[in-house]
Amino acid sequence: MLLRKKQKQDVDSDILALTKIVGTKSILHYKEDLLSYDCDGFTIHKAMPKAVIFPKNTEEVSAAVKYCSDRNIPFLARGAGTGLSGGAIPLNNEVIISLVKMKHLLEVDYENRQATVQPGFVNLKLTNSISHKGYYYAPDPSSQYVCTIGGNVAENAGGAHCLKYGVTTNHILGLEVVLPDGEIIEISNNGVLDMPGYDLLGILTGSEGTLGIVTKIIVRILKNPEAKKTVLAYFDNVEDGSQAVSDIISAGIIPAALEMMDQTAIEGVEKGAFPVGHPDDIEALLLIEVDGIAEGIEEQIDQILSVCRNRNVREVKVARDEEERGRWWANRKTGFGAMGAISPDYLVQDGVIPRSKLPEVLNKIRSISDEYELRIANIFHAGDGNLHPLILFDSRIEGETDKALKAGTACLKACADAGGSITGEHGVGIEKKEEMRFIFSDEEIEAQTAIRDVFNPNNLLNQGKLFPTPSRCMDIKKVIKETAVTK
Amino acid sequence: MSIKEKELTTNSPPCASNSLSNYLWDDHPDESKWADCVHCGMCLESCPTYLETGQEQHSPRGRVHLIKSVAEGKLEVNEQFMDPVFQCLDCRACTTACPADVDVGGLIEEARGQVRQAMPLTGVKRVVSNFFLKGLFPHPERLQAAGGLLKFYQKSGLQKAVRSTGALRVMPSHLAEMEAIMPDIKQSIHKKYKNVDVIPAKGSSKAQVAMLKGCIMDVMFSDINESTINVLTYNGNDVTLPKNQTCCGALHIHAGDRATGKKLAKQNIEAFKDADKVVVNAAGCGCALKEYPELFQNDPEWREKAEVFSEKIEDISKYLYDTGYIKPQSSINKTITYHDACHLAHGQGVRHEPRQILHDIPGVTYIEQPNADTCCGSAGIYNITNPEMASAILERKMENVPEDAEMISMGNPGCMLQMAMGVQKYGRGGKVVHTVQLLDWAYQEDMKKDNEKKTAAVKE
Repeated sequence: MLLRKKQKQDVDSDILALTKIVGTKSILHYKEDLLSYDCDGFTIHKAMPKAVIFPKNTEEVSAAVKYCSDRNIPFLARGAGTGLSGGAIPLNNEVIISLVKMKHLLEVDYENRQATVQPGFVNLKLTNSISHKGYYYAPDPSSQYVCTIGGNVAENAGGAHCLKYGVTTNHILGLEVVLPDGEIIEISNNGVLDMPGYDLLGILTGSEGTLGIVTKIIVRILKNPEAKKTVLAYFDNVEDGSQAVSDIISAGIIPAALEMMDQTAIEGVEKGAFPVGHPDDIEALLLIEVDGIAEGIEEQIDQILSVCRNRNVREVKVARDEEERGRWWANRKTGFGAMGAISPDYLVQDGVIPRSKLPEVLNKIRSISDEYELRIANIFHAGDGNLHPLILFDSRIEGETDKALKAGTACLKACADAGGSITGEHGVGIEKKEEMRFIFSDEEIEAQTAIRDVFNPNNLLNQGKLFPTPSRCMDIKKVIKETAVTK
Repeated sequence: MSIKEKELTTNSPPCASNSLSNYLWDDHPDESKWADCVHCGMCLESCPTYLETGQEQHSPRGRVHLIKSVAEGKLEVNEQFMDPVFQCLDCRACTTACPADVDVGGLIEEARGQVRQAMPLTGVKRVVSNFFLKGLFPHPERLQAAGGLLKFYQKSGLQKAVRSTGALRVMPSHLAEMEAIMPDIKQSIHKKYKNVDVIPAKGSSKAQVAMLKGCIMDVMFSDINESTINVLTYNGNDVTLPKNQTCCGALHIHAGDRATGKKLAKQNIEAFKDADKVVVNAAGCGCALKEYPELFQNDPEWREKAEVFSEKIEDISKYLYDTGYIKPQSSINKTITYHDACHLAHGQGVRHEPRQILHDIPGVTYIEQPNADTCCGSAGIYNITNPEMASAILERKMENVPEDAEMISMGNPGCMLQMAMGVQKYGRGGKVVHTVQLLDWAYQEDMKKDNEKKTAAVKE
């Protein structure tokens, strides 16, 4: 019947045991409540979890992990669920361990320029909490308004300003981790930059939640740059824009950020909630930011302006004030979500290419768009060659999701062929695990799964992510061989 | 997946339980609204209920996901679905945060309409809801009578007796807290201007505006209505109070009673037919009036009328700001902070105008509060229906009120009651006022001084 009362679903013993660990208010197990957890920011695959728990401290995480591990129940960790590669999707009916209630800033040590946070602490809140002292946290993924630092560690998140300041792994100084058997360990280099022995922090950062669950993070904080200037440049054709990117870098400037959007992307952000009035007939725009000591900033800006002019820029301007700069960045940073204004669904890819190949790969992406008859918008970190082709599609049209996935794979293939990689910052997750074969041989993948087995021997933690499933190995090999032959 | 029209217009559940859509009534959530949502999650940190619970189903994108899932036949309209849909404050903060402008509020209201038809209220809830929403708010005369009773309660010594005997202790704590901050009931403008067609501008007349009296506003806060009239006439506006106007229906629409909402909307559209401008001093009402077209998505004739009507609606602070107002000369020497009513900031995009008014009053030391545009938990009658969540949200809100604030200014009566409870409970913020009241008080002082000057001149 439709109008039935609260379902009397059978509550199994696992749910009861987990309830004992975290408390009745910190567990979800009804179908209706779980449905919101069937995907993260990657919405193409969906799967239902067994339960979602919200531990409040490391001990509860450890107890829950131990319970699951002892009984062979698959489990995984989740932050804000904004990941774009499906890393938090419960493919195997996992118990989801949501870390959003562990959301406190534990300590700020200005003297040693470091801060200790819980994994559920939101990225931007760190900068907001320390900005009054003139400090900030550098990695700034576009989702920084909502994403958690725990999730950033799992995915080794990047962001617009990583060109100059590096990605998450360059800012992690220590971790507390619950291993897949429930043991709690601490890894820290105590501020020593070259610790003897293996780089465990490096292995854990970017492991996409397959090696352990991070419960405490020590991050590096930086002093605000003395000066900052932002330039916006409009180009009539994409080639000029891409050439300008290469020219800026080869002129010896390392901008804090060097972002590019193409015409379709501009259409999206201008129809979205934070338009700034970009013209609709340009093929590309560049958003360039330089920062550092005040001395010399003007000189860099002059250089950038003249590079743009040499590359036939239609219009180029420097942000008048912080307000204008803020509007330009809000427009750029909400770019993915704004695609909703021009398309019901999108699939974002995350390829990396050598900067010099930019015009070539963008042309290739354009032909992929024609071939699959799907619009592709490009919003990307041009400075470090990190492309984000956004494949626009409508999942309600039969076969279109499949087409989008294939077009996405083709984009990644183009990046790999150009000597690049299949992911720059979004992670592999479920989305790109088969494409791992574009850049790694079987032996290389086996070597990596061997490392995973040391931490996660029963593969109960976030199973089915990051590495391709063996069964499809032969098919993929065949594809690669065939494409190689036709070349 | 598309929704089959036939199934949506029928009133009886389909035979097969796995039908394409589980929305069985007319006026269902609008597919084009959720098509804009790409599940990016940028809304999460703006949502008060998500911040409180950390749970996806109590977040904007989670709710949109569930509403979509019902249409896709994955979920049914049942109590577990009802919970997230009714826990929403309808504060619209997510709409501000959303990169694609997804109308989450509109979806929630439509979904509530479906829930209420699938599961009509029963028992005490039904009686209480019917009494207030159908029996009281839409009827100005009955409201006046209720106001009279409240006034009697306050003036006769009954309130004193109730408070001293501890009779309040038998009431649920949130209701007792509300009783404690109940404003003094004064004469309503409904009564005062019963036989007046136009309240003339002071001095020469620049424009004519109609004013919405509001239902609860005119009983609990008739002094704010009075201040609104004073401020309008002081600035050269002739004010009319069209006779047939009624409650805006916001509370009904929030509660899922869209049928009554439509009825009231039609009455208001007719009542204000001759007005060019309708000034509103309650953010919630203003937002609801502006959104009347939403109610008539399947009724082209009324939709068109509603669109014409919604163009006329203006919040008092925006109206004053846009048409220019006389800057007061007299000082109010207070430290004042401003709270953005959700339906003013997120619902109508009015943020700067009321702040400017505060800046223009001499003597006011203005301090901005952090997260000024976060919901206070009032949300219509949310603080009565969801007291636990409302009081948690209020606690968060009050933490942000600057300690040295002597007054908190805002533009919505619901917020005023809720924030007054916050002031009482947490002992900070001082006095809760409506922005137009402050302007009115300064003007009154100006007029007094003017009169004194004149009398002095006459005496000389």
